[in-house]
Amino acid sequence: MNLDKNWLPMKWPCGPLELARRNKAGSVKPDLKEALEAWERPSALELLKGTPINCLIVDWAAGVREDLDQQQALKPLLEAGGRLGLSFVGRVAVKEDTGAAVAAARAAGLRAVMLDDTSGQSFALPAILQFPRDKVAWENASTIFSSTENVWPGLNLETMHGDTAVAGPTGIPWVNSNAWFALLAAELAPGKTLWLDVDPPDASTAAHPADYALAIADSRAYGSQWIISLDDNLRAALQKGNVQAKSIWEKICQTLAFCESHREWQRFQSQGVLAVVSDFRGDNAYFSGEVLNLLNRRQVQFRIIERSTSLPALAHGLKAILWLDKQVPGAEQHSQLLTFARQGGLVVAGAYWGPAGVQPTKKDPSLQYNMYNVGKGQIAVAEEGFNDPYQVAVDTHLLVSRRNDLVRLYNSETTNCHSSGEFTSPHHGRRLVQVLNYSSDPADSVTLWVNARVASARLWQPGTKVAPTLQGVAASPGTDFGLPRLSVYCALEFEGTNL
Amino acid sequence: MTTSTCSRRKFLGAMGAAAGAWMARPAMSLARSTPAARVAVGTCHEYGPEVLETLSSMFDQLGGLEGLVRGKTVAIKLNLTGLATDRLGYLPAEITHWVHPEVIGATVHLLGQAGAQRIRLLESPLVTTEPLEEFMLQANWEPRDFLGAASRVEFENTNYLGYGKEYSRFWVPGGGLMFKGYDLNHSYEDCDVFVSLAKLKEHVTAGVTLSMKNCFGITPCTIYGDGAPVDEPSLTPRGGRGPFHEMNRLPSKSAPPIVNANAPKDAGYSVPRVVADLVAARPVHLAVIDGIHSMAGGEGPWCDHVRHVQPGLLVAGTNCVATDAVCTALMGFDPMADRGAPPFETCDSTLRLAEQLGVGSRDLNQIEVVGTPIAKARFNFRSA
Repeated sequence: MNLDKNWLPMKWPCGPLELARRNKAGSVKPDLKEALEAWERPSALELLKGTPINCLIVDWAAGVREDLDQQQALKPLLEAGGRLGLSFVGRVAVKEDTGAAVAAARAAGLRAVMLDDTSGQSFALPAILQFPRDKVAWENASTIFSSTENVWPGLNLETMHGDTAVAGPTGIPWVNSNAWFALLAAELAPGKTLWLDVDPPDASTAAHPADYALAIADSRAYGSQWIISLDDNLRAALQKGNVQAKSIWEKICQTLAFCESHREWQRFQSQGVLAVVSDFRGDNAYFSGEVLNLLNRRQVQFRIIERSTSLPALAHGLKAILWLDKQVPGAEQHSQLLTFARQGGLVVAGAYWGPAGVQPTKKDPSLQYNMYNVGKGQIAVAEEGFNDPYQVAVDTHLLVSRRNDLVRLYNSETTNCHSSGEFTSPHHGRRLVQVLNYSSDPADSVTLWVNARVASARLWQPGTKVAPTLQGVAASPGTDFGLPRLSVYCALEFEGTNL
Repeated sequence: MTTSTCSRRKFLGAMGAAAGAWMARPAMSLARSTPAARVAVGTCHEYGPEVLETLSSMFDQLGGLEGLVRGKTVAIKLNLTGLATDRLGYLPAEITHWVHPEVIGATVHLLGQAGAQRIRLLESPLVTTEPLEEFMLQANWEPRDFLGAASRVEFENTNYLGYGKEYSRFWVPGGGLMFKGYDLNHSYEDCDVFVSLAKLKEHVTAGVTLSMKNCFGITPCTIYGDGAPVDEPSLTPRGGRGPFHEMNRLPSKSAPPIVNANAPKDAGYSVPRVVADLVAARPVHLAVIDGIHSMAGGEGPWCDHVRHVQPGLLVAGTNCVATDAVCTALMGFDPMADRGAPPFETCDSTLRLAEQLGVGSRDLNQIEVVGTPIAKARFNFRSA
C-alpha cells in the first residue's frame, strides 16, 4: 500500500477519543456531542456522496485508555466507508508502541497513519508525517506530509478595529496566507504533497461562517492541499439539516470539485524573475519564511532555491537572485553568482563577498544599499545587513524593479495572485494566473495586469463549468484584464506564445 | 479682460521675478495688489500627438517658455494622488485622477526645447519612500519615456528628505493663514522655476483640485503625516496628510508652528488655508492643467459618486490663482463663489484665500483668457 496523491482529505472527528479530548477541554456542548456521535455512524457518510472528498482522517490512538474504545467504535464507519470507496487515515499520537497501534490500524482496514515522528522506524502502513511548520524535516518528508501551526487565511483580525482594516507595514490590509509555505514545500520537498492542517476559527458559525472556499483556494493555488476541517457549529448545524449550513457545505464541495477538475494546474511551475536562496532551516527558517511571505504579499512572483543546490543561470528567465542567509556562498555558488552578475544579473545580499577593489555606488536615497558593478550586472549589498524581513522584501522588489513585474493587480487591497505555467518551449505553452480575494466582502473592479501581450484569456471560476473568454485591453506594456466581481477565486488561463 | 502690453518674454520674465520677490519677502500685507495674468485654454479631445501640438500653441499664447526656463532648473510637481493601484473601475489612473503621461511628456519636451537646463519631476507618493520611477511603474507607466523627452530629466520622491541633507524652510508671506511656514523637501528650493502640473477635478474637501491644491502634496508626511514624530521628522513617511484635514495633531515641532492654535478642526477650513499658504510660500511659475479626461464628483476613486468625464481641455497659465479661476469657470462654477456656494459648499475658497495672500486674482475680469473662450470650452462637472 502506498500513499495516494489523489486523496482529498477531510478531518472526521468522532468517537470516544474525540469526546474524551473535548471533555478534557470542557468544550462539549449538547449540540456538538450529538454531532460527534452522529458522525461516528455510517449514515453520516451520506454527506460525502457526490463530493470529491475521498479520504477521511480519524483519530486512532492517543496513548490513552479510550484508544481501544475508539478503534472498536470506528469499525462500522470504516466498513461503510470502504464500501463507498473512501480511504481512512488514522491519527496516531502515542509515545510508546506505535507499531502496535499502526498494526491495529492496518488490521482495521485503514490505508495509512498520520504520525508526528517515526524516528526512522518502519510500520505496517505507510505514514503521513506531520510537523510543526517551523520544524519540517524536509529530507524525511513522506510522499504526503502535513504541517501544523498554519494560519487560517483571510484578513488578519488582529489588525481590524470594528469594520475598519488597519494597514500593515505595506500600507494595505494585512492578510494571513499559507501561500509562501506551500511554495517553499514545493521546492524543498519536490514531488511530494503538502497537507495543511489548520482548523477554522472558533467564532465560525453557520450564519457567519469561516471562509472555507478561501482556505481551499489559498492552498490549491499554491500547490498544497488543505485538510478539510469543519467548525463545530457548522458540523452541528449540518447534522440538523440547517439550510444555511447545507449551503456552506455545497460551496465547499463546489470549490473542491472545481479544483479537482483542474488538478493538472498543480504541476505548473511558479514563474518568477527573482530567485530566493536560503537553506530555509534552523536559524534562517523564520527570516527566510517571512521574506517569502512578504514578497508574496507584494505580488512579487519568485522561485525558491535551496541553498545547497546549483543556482540557476540568467538564461532561465531570471533577472535577480536574493541571497538571504548570513552564510557566505561556497566556492561553486560563489562562482555561479559572480557569473550570474557578470552576465547582467542582479544579486542582492546582506554582505559583500564579490571581487575585491570594486567601489560601490548608491542607487537611490531610499534604498540603503551599496551597488557593486560586476561585469554587466550588479551586486546590491544592504548597508546594515538584513535585519527586517519586511524591508528586505520591499527593497528587493524595488532593486529588481517593478519594470520586471510579471503580474499586478489594481483596486487590489485584499487580493493577491500567483502566476505559474507549463511551457513546451521557452516561448510556447500555457500560463495561469490565479487570483484570490482574502476579504469576506467581494472585490469589485479588480484589474489584473499581465506582462504579456495577449488578446484574451479563459476565465475560470468555481461553480461554472465553462470558461468564458475574457478580452484583454492592450496596455503599454502588457495587457489589462478587468475581472468580474471576485468573491474568492478566479483563474485566467492563457495559451500561446510569448506568455 | 485686460490685455497684456508687454512682450511675451518680458511678461514671463516679470512673472518669474515677481515669484522670486514673494519668496524673498517673508512679511507682506495680505492686501497686496494682485498681478494681472494670462491664461491659455486649449481644446484637446484625446491623448496623443495633439497634446504636444496644443500645449505648444498654448505656451506660445502665454508668451513662450524660453524667457522663463532657459538655462534654469525646472521642478514639476505632478498630481499622482493616492496609491498607484487605485483605479476608478477599470480605468487607468491617468484617465481619471492622475495627470496623464502624455501631458507630462509634452510639457517636459517643450520645457527642454525652450532651453531648460534640468527638469526634475516631483511627487510625494502616499506612504512610501520608494523612487518615484518605481511608483510610476506600478501604475504601468514607463518613466524612461520622460527621460527621453528632454536632455536632463530627474525624478525625486519628495515625501521625505530624499536626496537632501535637510529640509528647506518656506515662510508664508504675511505670516500664514494656517502655519507660519512649511518644511519641504530640498527639491522645492533647489529649482529656479516651479511648475504645478495638475488635473482638472473636483475635490470633496476643497471644492476643486487644480494647480494650487496639487501643491498640498509637496508637504512631506515625515513631518505632516498621521504618524510623524512629535519632535523631529521621521525617516520614512507614516500615514497620509490626515492632520491637515482633522487638525488632530500638529506637525513635528521642528517645523514652523501653527498660526492659531484654536483654529476650527474643520477640513473645509484648514485644507484651503494650507494650500493658499503653500502657493504663497512656494510660488508657482507655471500652472498646467490636464482636463482631457478626468473624473467628476471628487478627486479620486476612493470618493463616493465619482464618474469619468471627458472635458477635452488643457489649461495653462503663469499665475496659479488666475489659472485655477479659469479652470473653475470652465468646470461650470463661479470662481468668485465662497463657502456655501458650488463648488465650495462645505469649505472656504482656496481661490479667495490665495487672492487674499496676494498670489493672484480670481476675478475673470482681471484675467486675459487666450485660446478657446471659456464660454465655448465650458464643461459642467455637476451635470456631466
